[in-house]
Amino acid sequence: MVVLRAGLCPGLTEDMIQLLRANGIRTVVDFVSSDLEDVARKCSLSYKALVAVRRVLLAQFSAFPTNGADLYEELKSSTAILPTGSPSLDQLLDSGLYTGEVTELMGAPGSGKTQVCLGIAASVSLGLKQHVLFLDSTGGFTASRLYQMLQARTEDEEEQLEALQRIQVVRVFNIYEVLRALQELRDRLSQQVVSSMGPLKMVLLDSVSAVIYPLLGGRQSEGLALMMQLSRELKTLAREFSLAVVVTNQVTRDSSSGPLKPALGRSWSFVPSTRVLLESKEATWDKATTQRAATLAKSPRQPTGIQAELDIANGDVLEPSLVTPTQGL
Amino acid sequence: MQREVGTLPLAPALRARLAAAGFQTAQELLDTGPCGLSKEIGISREEALEALQVVRQECHGDAARTAGGPGPTRNCTALELLEEEQTQGFIITFCSALDNILGGGVQLTKITEICGAPGVGKTQLCMQLAVDVQIPECFGGVAGEAVFIDTEGSFMVDRVVDIAAACVQHCHLIAEAQQEEDLRKALETFSLENILSHIYYFRCRDYTELLAQVYLLPEFLSEHSKVRLVVIDGIAFPFRHDFEDLSLRTRLLNGLAQQLIIIANDHKAAVVLTNQMTTRLGQSQSTLVPALGESWGHAATVRLIFHWDNSQRLATLYKSPSQKESTIAYHITSHGFRDVQPPAATPSSGGTELNPRKRPRTEEEKQH
Repeated sequence: MVVLRAGLCPGLTEDMIQLLRANGIRTVVDFVSSDLEDVARKCSLSYKALVAVRRVLLAQFSAFPTNGADLYEELKSSTAILPTGSPSLDQLLDSGLYTGEVTELMGAPGSGKTQVCLGIAASVSLGLKQHVLFLDSTGGFTASRLYQMLQARTEDEEEQLEALQRIQVVRVFNIYEVLRALQELRDRLSQQVVSSMGPLKMVLLDSVSAVIYPLLGGRQSEGLALMMQLSRELKTLAREFSLAVVVTNQVTRDSSSGPLKPALGRSWSFVPSTRVLLESKEATWDKATTQRAATLAKSPRQPTGIQAELDIANGDVLEPSLVTPTQGL
Repeated sequence: MQREVGTLPLAPALRARLAAAGFQTAQELLDTGPCGLSKEIGISREEALEALQVVRQECHGDAARTAGGPGPTRNCTALELLEEEQTQGFIITFCSALDNILGGGVQLTKITEICGAPGVGKTQLCMQLAVDVQIPECFGGVAGEAVFIDTEGSFMVDRVVDIAAACVQHCHLIAEAQQEEDLRKALETFSLENILSHIYYFRCRDYTELLAQVYLLPEFLSEHSKVRLVVIDGIAFPFRHDFEDLSLRTRLLNGLAQQLIIIANDHKAAVVLTNQMTTRLGQSQSTLVPALGESWGHAATVRLIFHWDNSQRLATLYKSPSQKESTIAYHITSHGFRDVQPPAATPSSGGTELNPRKRPRTEEEKQH
């Protein structure tokens, strides 16, 4: 909904704008959706001039259809699949994290979401030598744990230090800071400023529910609007710059004994294209274990309900097990 | 400058009007100016000026950051964070088993939550930590002050006196065993009166007072910059009754959690919260789980659950970003929080080697 301004297109002069505004036409949408004969009569402007302006505005502001074959070619050349560092999780995700998409990890507290994110950051930074942006909103990012994971994967100290330098950590504690950080990222990528930021392929946001929860609920409704703004930013960033975006989410229950369901509700459930649920294997405190079960809850490529086992101790993995598909979330 | 209007921190009604008038980016707002803006959307000039100031602040904040200017540095590489973490101290708990499973003690800049049934020792640990945070650096402490926010009224000053006296005596014993000058000098300022005068106590009676106190805390902390520990004893108590609208409770709790994370991060303080337990009715049995619901579980970075096993007190590390889950036993003596039996005679356990400021303790705690 762009406001009509002089110079927006050739032929749109200041006088024309004043006349149009006097008749209630202020934005591009108003202009192209109005009856031009009517407007020509009321504003005493030439019909030909108005038609010419409309054609230019439509060309400037409308979307263009492309065909499926072109899209497919573009996808083949620009999409990359990034390994998560854990072969069973890769198999669950159909060989890894796809760029251009938003993937979500959800789980109860202590189920290992931050650990898996650290593992992904370590794998992309060390294995692929790509830069990673980690947006931390919970304060759970522990560099010494990341260092431990890197040490488990490679012996070379220099490589470890370089890998650490390729991971950029930004602490964002409310939604506006997240949006600001994403805007900065967009500016940096579109201007291609050559700084310490090399080729960026991955953005991790841990966790998205921590910044959105304080806005939802009660009787205020702007929280939903901000949540959708954030989702639009993430998806357009992923698509335009071919990034893989990973977010972590919480789980809640409807009542104190209901089943677990992902947080942030139905509106958010449309945002990520892939969702993975992480669970602990044992539910008691007596037996401590580092085993986690990952279940695929939503995917555009794989059947939902398949499971894999992860060991979050140092990213070592067990054989993937395809359990019979259970009720998806 | 191309920030969308929807992403700027303006009032929702104002945002709606701007969207209806056709403004899309922050740059358009700045170009229009306050007079034009007040005419276009029908607000007063003062409101337009205020809104433009907010927008300018946001945009200049962006520009300063991309140009690498100064600002609250929340933006750094993992390598710099690693170096920071390695020089950071821990707050010891005087129970070496608990310190070990926590990776050295209670970590600064993180939120630690202690859940447990009544009487298991949560407030005891909080009081112990309020004393331990003041241990001078040459003894392996962080030499900070403590803020204690009490909602249940369970803070007993005479108990803190006992704990502090035992701590001071312990440090005296170490100083005598090691016979070093700076240890003795540090002990001159580490006395009972000093310890008690550096614990700042607040009493909050309901959730509004608690929220107000937490939101005013950053101001307090910038005046008292040596505070390294914030304890909230009983975060569940004000929120567990008087709430008909549960979604409002979730919203308030999450806002509180984010505010605490900001405090922990910006002031390099450890935040310790205590929580109660509640029963969850399952299919055939009921289990004890921490109160305040599922979403609160994500607020704390480190979660400890204290429970009983016959008559032995156990502590389980349930959630931590860098340590494995494990369970240890502990004891509460007249001197405070201690181990169950004398720990093995290894002089310096692995956890303390990482901290360059800590000297190896050649003498373990005497058990009474």
